[in-house]
Amino acid sequence: MIEIENLKKIYRNDSVETPALQGVSFKIAQGEFVSIMGPSGSGKSTLMHIMCFLDRPSSGICKFEGKSIDNFNDDELARIRNKKMGFVFQSYNLLSRTTVFDNVRLPLIYTGFSKEKEYKMTKQALELVGILHRASHFPNQLSGGEQQKTAIARAIVNHPSVIFADEPTGNLDSKSGQQIMDIFQKLNNQGHTIILVTHEKYTAEMAKRIIALKDGKIVNDELVNLRHYAKDGLIK
Amino acid sequence: MKFSNSFKTAIIGLKTNKTRSALTILGIVIGISSVILMMSLGDGAQNLILGQIMSMGPNNVYVEPGAFTTGGGGDMTQQVMEGMEIKTLTLKDMKAIEDDPLVEMVAPMVVSVGRVIYKNNDEKVTLFGTTPAYNEITNSRTILGSDFTDFDVQSMSKVVVLGYKIKEDLFENEDPIGKIIRIKQTNFRIIGVMEEQGTQMFMNLDEYVYIPITTVQKFLLGINHVQSSAVKIVNQGQIDEAVESIRLLLRERHNIYNPEGDLSKDDFKVVSGKETADLMNTVTSILSLLLSSVAAIALVVGGIGIMNIMLVSVVERTREIGLRKAVGARKKDILYQFLIEAMVLTGLGGILGILLGAILSYLVSIVLTMALGIKWEFVLSLSSIIIAFGVATGIGLIFGIYPARKAARLSPIDALRYE
Repeated sequence: MIEIENLKKIYRNDSVETPALQGVSFKIAQGEFVSIMGPSGSGKSTLMHIMCFLDRPSSGICKFEGKSIDNFNDDELARIRNKKMGFVFQSYNLLSRTTVFDNVRLPLIYTGFSKEKEYKMTKQALELVGILHRASHFPNQLSGGEQQKTAIARAIVNHPSVIFADEPTGNLDSKSGQQIMDIFQKLNNQGHTIILVTHEKYTAEMAKRIIALKDGKIVNDELVNLRHYAKDGLIK
Repeated sequence: MKFSNSFKTAIIGLKTNKTRSALTILGIVIGISSVILMMSLGDGAQNLILGQIMSMGPNNVYVEPGAFTTGGGGDMTQQVMEGMEIKTLTLKDMKAIEDDPLVEMVAPMVVSVGRVIYKNNDEKVTLFGTTPAYNEITNSRTILGSDFTDFDVQSMSKVVVLGYKIKEDLFENEDPIGKIIRIKQTNFRIIGVMEEQGTQMFMNLDEYVYIPITTVQKFLLGINHVQSSAVKIVNQGQIDEAVESIRLLLRERHNIYNPEGDLSKDDFKVVSGKETADLMNTVTSILSLLLSSVAAIALVVGGIGIMNIMLVSVVERTREIGLRKAVGARKKDILYQFLIEAMVLTGLGGILGILLGAILSYLVSIVLTMALGIKWEFVLSLSSIIIAFGVATGIGLIFGIYPARKAARLSPIDALRYE
């Protein structure tokens, strides 16, 4: 599903070149649950941004469902992100004066479905993360956990083939974090491909596979031996 | 993204900052209302002036002494004075014009001012010397007694027809017919009273005293020339031919050699009411345009206010833009969102401005009517409303496009990272 080969990303700032990724290669198949782990500055966020078509590599190959990022312009990439990818951010990124329902519906208004279909899909997504009862609330009336659940509902509303989550538990207390990870594991069990960026080892080990980065290179890429399950509780 | 969504998003964006939106709109409201006010005043002035010209009969032709002054410093007063001083037009000329087959009738005129004395009352009036043709050309009637006749003109009878207001002021309920009044130490017998006529070319016709032209020439002014004349054309479709025919006739009679038809060589001018109306139309249109342009400056200032606020809004909502792009908004989706927001702001300002401008124009029309003693009509043309609204939304478009493009060009990564 995702193919990365010899991927390099160099940031240029006032003729100073900062290499963020220095030749990264791996493949991710349909239905996988992969953690990208590494300390800050390791290039994990940069890698995720390229994988989810938000940023372009300096060189190397990045393919999604066999399609290379190089073959599309920005608007076409936006279209692919809209239909095939879901995003969950550390700071939720909800629109503050917009209801939970309309926040979750947001990607659909750029898809062009009928109003009825939009409402049906939004309701489904809210139900799936268990926040339907909060649909008419505003984000500032919700707890952090509920806000992140809203963000997850927004990520899955368009039935994407892959969900990208950038430190989704970073701003949450451990109990809320546990609930969020539980949702991700359930979504993965239902067949969603999930790519999780985190610097916490314990959180990373809730995935099935960990790609560890350091200084823009892969230092480790292996399956998780002893997988944690969020429903068993978080041990921190 | 559908338009209704863009619109909804824009409304939410504006509601979020109510005070700011209201203050931004204020600039547009002031601009649009001044444009509406100026256009309405311009239209009002135009209606007033044209109304006055039309009341003289737009299809009549006027023959006046003095050459056509083209530029070169002939102001209004000077031209009027010329008309009184230049003695080239005579009653014989008028007779000759009347014999032209294109001409139905001619009403020569002389005008002066004087006092009318009746018993112990006296009143300042305009002494208007003409022939019976005048009332036929201008379609006016007497309500008491009758008009003087061609015989009165030939025999220089000392008879007068009073304007309506003079009769009211001097006689009230008394019957004036047959009474004697004094004008410049001469006795005149009243034979009629005109109907109420109002103003024409800003002159109050009800303060006129109508006297046979020959009587005025001989007994009141001591002149032999004619100061002006109104000519009625047989066929309204042949006004241009008639004007040309009268010119040729007068050149021949006045021995003016002018084969090129250079109007500045003539010692008279022949103008049609329609020409005068067209000229005044042009003048008032230019005036209207000038006034509106001044008001439009306020609009530009308002537009800059819109741009400023939209730029601030783009910066404030950088993260929102990043998120929208991440979940699939294309460049044009973001562009439309901000453009529509700007246009909703200015459109709303436009509607409020039109309302405010209409109210102001109405008040001004009342004040002008009272202050000037003329009927100043309140005019608010549909075209000026459409123009004002179009300009308002246009300003939203013009001043909104730069901030909207700025928003649309943001890279989603940078926008999401923005703190």
